[in-house]
Amino acid sequence: MATAAFDTLDAAAREFERAMQRNLKGLDYFQTSGPALGATPKDVLIERGTMRLYHYHPRTGDVYRVPLLLVMATTNRGYIFDMVPGQSLVEYLLDAGFDVFMLDWDAPRADERNLSLESYVLDFLPAAVARVKQESGEDDVTVVAYCFGGVLSLLWAALHPDSGLANLVTFTTPVDFSQMEMFRSWSDRRFFDVDRLVDTFGNCPGDYLYTAFDMLRPGQRTAGNIRLYDNLWNDDFVKSYRMFDRWSADTLPLAGEYFRQTTKKLMWGNELLDGALEVGGRRVDLGNIIVPFLHVAAEHDHIVPTAASAPLIGMVGSTDKNEIVLKGGHVSLVAGGNAIKRLWPNLVEWLGMRST
Amino acid sequence: MTSTDPAAFFREMLGEWEKMANKVGGDFARSDEFARALHGASAATMNTQEAISAMMARALAAANMPSRAEIENLSGRLARIEEQLGRIEGLLGGKAERPARPKPSRTRKPPQAG
Repeated sequence: MATAAFDTLDAAAREFERAMQRNLKGLDYFQTSGPALGATPKDVLIERGTMRLYHYHPRTGDVYRVPLLLVMATTNRGYIFDMVPGQSLVEYLLDAGFDVFMLDWDAPRADERNLSLESYVLDFLPAAVARVKQESGEDDVTVVAYCFGGVLSLLWAALHPDSGLANLVTFTTPVDFSQMEMFRSWSDRRFFDVDRLVDTFGNCPGDYLYTAFDMLRPGQRTAGNIRLYDNLWNDDFVKSYRMFDRWSADTLPLAGEYFRQTTKKLMWGNELLDGALEVGGRRVDLGNIIVPFLHVAAEHDHIVPTAASAPLIGMVGSTDKNEIVLKGGHVSLVAGGNAIKRLWPNLVEWLGMRST
Repeated sequence: MTSTDPAAFFREMLGEWEKMANKVGGDFARSDEFARALHGASAATMNTQEAISAMMARALAAANMPSRAEIENLSGRLARIEEQLGRIEGLLGGKAERPARPKPSRTRKPPQAG
């Protein structure tokens, strides 16, 4: 009885202390803009419309022979791989001795509405890989791609078997779009007129995509805001919240024609899974990918459920191939405390053995 | 185990509420009714957008000013010229502002290989 009373008093004292801190630090929250993201030193090698190619400054005097190209999803910014020092996959890879490049995207301009799947797979990716080879002086390249960046990389790899691809790693990459239940429901062709949307807006607005991602978990934003208030006293929590909140709100518009094609061919037609997908008039066969291949899925991914990526490992023609499913969600798989403990060491170990 | 800490109880309840809201909201968002309502609202937005665009285009034409489409076209042409200039500059060596850094050797081996 006395212990319970002491516990209650302790808890009350702790909450009082936190309430004081909350009030003091709450003011800071609204007066500051949060940590600088994506600040690892780099050179911009290509800046062409929506396309950006970065080369990060190596941090070791001796690097693995094969350069590593990160390919970001077209819906979001690449700084998810480079949040802040100590929480940056890029920095982690540099410290592990890799020569790191990133293919990132800026918002497509209004005049880029006609960019298509072909532009990304047959132009941007080959241009990036060629520049990485030129910069590194090597003939082969490892590609590590996230989400829809993974889809683009798979299509490129399948259509360019002689491109010098050394290894391919994809994170949370869907191939069975029928399993992306929520997106499939929202893009239901009975109700969704993709032609009209693209013809009206040109590019698919980023707000549409942000709202769609947000609606996948309707309670998350409200609960997140309450948790933020509850944890305002905790600097680490606030820093982490601001990083991820800023990144998720930084959703990019999609080039109109590209959005139209992906909706029709992938969401409606599921053509990649059925082997019917053509890019630039050429049929995509993932069996053409024979380089060492690793796919990493997240157990609690609400954007790309594991069922949506499960057939991938069987479709790829490689003999050296592996799939791992790690605890975490779509974003926490690649960034944040869980990623540092789970994904990053696994990735470095897998790549190290195949990058000499 | 029963907690005597009301704040801990509140946090637990918040987690439960979030799970429930995600489940109930998610089920609703997956329904035909939701999709129909969502795209109905989108269609209304697009109707408004089209009407405003047409009206603005007529007003700009009447004022002898370029339309949005013409500005976009110009912006695209400028961007292409900038890209071509960048390529020419690169070929002429004019982009030498990147400081030369010593290139690392490329002989690293994974730790297991010693």
